[in-house]
Amino acid sequence: MSLLEILDLEIDLGEFALKGISLQLEEGDYLNIIGPTGAGKTILLESIIGFWRPDRGRIFLEGRDITDERPEARQIGIVYQDYALLPHFSVYKNIAYGLKKHKTEHVKETVEDMAASLQIDHLLHRMPDTLSGGEQQRVALARALIVEPKLLLMDEPFSALDIQTRRQARILLKKAIRERGTSVIHITHDLDDAWVFATKLAIFRKGRMLQFGPVEDVFNRPRSPFIAEFVGANLFSGIVKANGKAPCKVDVGGFTLDSLDMARDGAGVQVAVRRENIHVYKDRPRKRNGANIVEATLRQVISEGRDFSLSLNVCDTELGVLLGREAVRQLNAMPGDSVYAVVEAENVRIVAPDQALA
Amino acid sequence: MRRLELFQCVCIFISLVITFLLVFAIGSLFLVPEFADIWENLWSEEMRFSLKLSMLTGLISTLLVMIFALPIGYALSRFEFPGKGFVKTIIDLPVAFPELVLGLCLLLLFGNTFVGRWFSALGLKFVFTKQGVVAAQFFTALPYASRILKSTFDYINPRLEFVSRSLGYSMFQTFINVSVPLAKNGILASTVISFARCIGTFGTVLILAGGTYMKTEVLPMTLYLNISYGNMGMALTSGMVLMVVSFLAIYVFERAEVGL
Repeated sequence: MSLLEILDLEIDLGEFALKGISLQLEEGDYLNIIGPTGAGKTILLESIIGFWRPDRGRIFLEGRDITDERPEARQIGIVYQDYALLPHFSVYKNIAYGLKKHKTEHVKETVEDMAASLQIDHLLHRMPDTLSGGEQQRVALARALIVEPKLLLMDEPFSALDIQTRRQARILLKKAIRERGTSVIHITHDLDDAWVFATKLAIFRKGRMLQFGPVEDVFNRPRSPFIAEFVGANLFSGIVKANGKAPCKVDVGGFTLDSLDMARDGAGVQVAVRRENIHVYKDRPRKRNGANIVEATLRQVISEGRDFSLSLNVCDTELGVLLGREAVRQLNAMPGDSVYAVVEAENVRIVAPDQALA
Repeated sequence: MRRLELFQCVCIFISLVITFLLVFAIGSLFLVPEFADIWENLWSEEMRFSLKLSMLTGLISTLLVMIFALPIGYALSRFEFPGKGFVKTIIDLPVAFPELVLGLCLLLLFGNTFVGRWFSALGLKFVFTKQGVVAAQFFTALPYASRILKSTFDYINPRLEFVSRSLGYSMFQTFINVSVPLAKNGILASTVISFARCIGTFGTVLILAGGTYMKTEVLPMTLYLNISYGNMGMALTSGMVLMVVSFLAIYVFERAEVGL
């Protein structure tokens, strides 16, 4: 029996709408939902928790139909982007608020244990408006987790945090979730969240779920050019040159890429290559089966925190690459230098044109 | 110091002129009579009756107004329901209505219709009675209170209520634990404004409850009746009492609004 099953959910709130959403989560799953603003991600969370009644479709939690159940009966927790701490309660009262509804014994000890595990035990007497963003986020998380929800929903909980605080918050959240085995649905705009947390990933756009599946599948087998671009892949338009046998060759304008995906000969397709699946060398690597080697010119190197984003020029086409600090140091190349980009044929994905939402 | 622009000067000048006129008008109320006369008038039987009735009816009306305005303000702020726009317009209507017309409508409602007969059967007679004073004050002040409370609830982030419900609290428990405490400044402001409106209501009370000496005589009625008799001392004294109540109400309202 699945933990959560959503069947053909539809809801229209005028400005925002959801259409035909179906998904299934198992116990312990961590689903990241990503998509542009206005994609309907928050409505999905608020429908699951019971604040909006769907126009169509059903929601099941542990096999129980909760579509018409009141929010207070669902045992689903939520952490909002703005944390929604009760401003008239202290940190202690905020965390204890839900617990007091369910039990009257050992409230103080339970709150203190939870606060200690999220490193906010020194803040219990403070009022929410005196806390930093990171502290508020941990209080909101403690308040949601302390009632042991069957499912925790989080709406961009890190978006208001600076990079350093976000990194610490991720570590604490991961630890807290793992210790309790809580299943989570987490909306984010940051693909790093998906890499850190997700077991499953869903891509939303204009009220529809474009792709849902294990995180590796969505990242490595994007179902449409939109998804490929959204998950940070290079996207090229090309024409299939050979068919019926692997690797399939795709001419992407000036250079050819081998892909293990199959496509009709002569078909116009789009090819997606993830930035982190490309390796860059200064000297031409030895040719081997299954590897695409293209000559390129290094245009620029930009720091993205731990990693570096490289921009290469291949036959007047821009190719983005993400390399670690050590790889960049070993490359030892300057803008204008000739380099070689290597990508395995299995990482060159042929994606269908995104006609439905073009 | 920044140079004053002509437009800025004109705006400030108009504000100062009107303020001066109002201060002068209010001041004249306090400066005209002798203090000894005021003191004597305050303790007269008529004034004591009027003050007592005003305070009693004002408190009862304000309590009733708040009991009804809280759910009305919350419903208009939080819920979507058929005819919401119509309900909002009708509840707000008395704000724009002349008090005399409102009084006339209430007189007809409680006089001749089945509603009046129904209330009458329950022992509630509103025409030319003290209960009528309460009814008149209630309908005059209700729209002010419900408007303030609606705005107050509009300002409260509904996600705070969502979170409370997700933690196991029902809609009513959430209203009591979250919405009401967060709306306390708005509730205080609307209570004070309601009380001031109740105490100061004249036209509606006059038509529905009548202006009967020492029966339905509230403070505005004392002012009106004594001006009619030519007894300026009593009229000015009741005017002063009304002014003090209004001033205190506005002061508390402003303080509460700062905290909103």
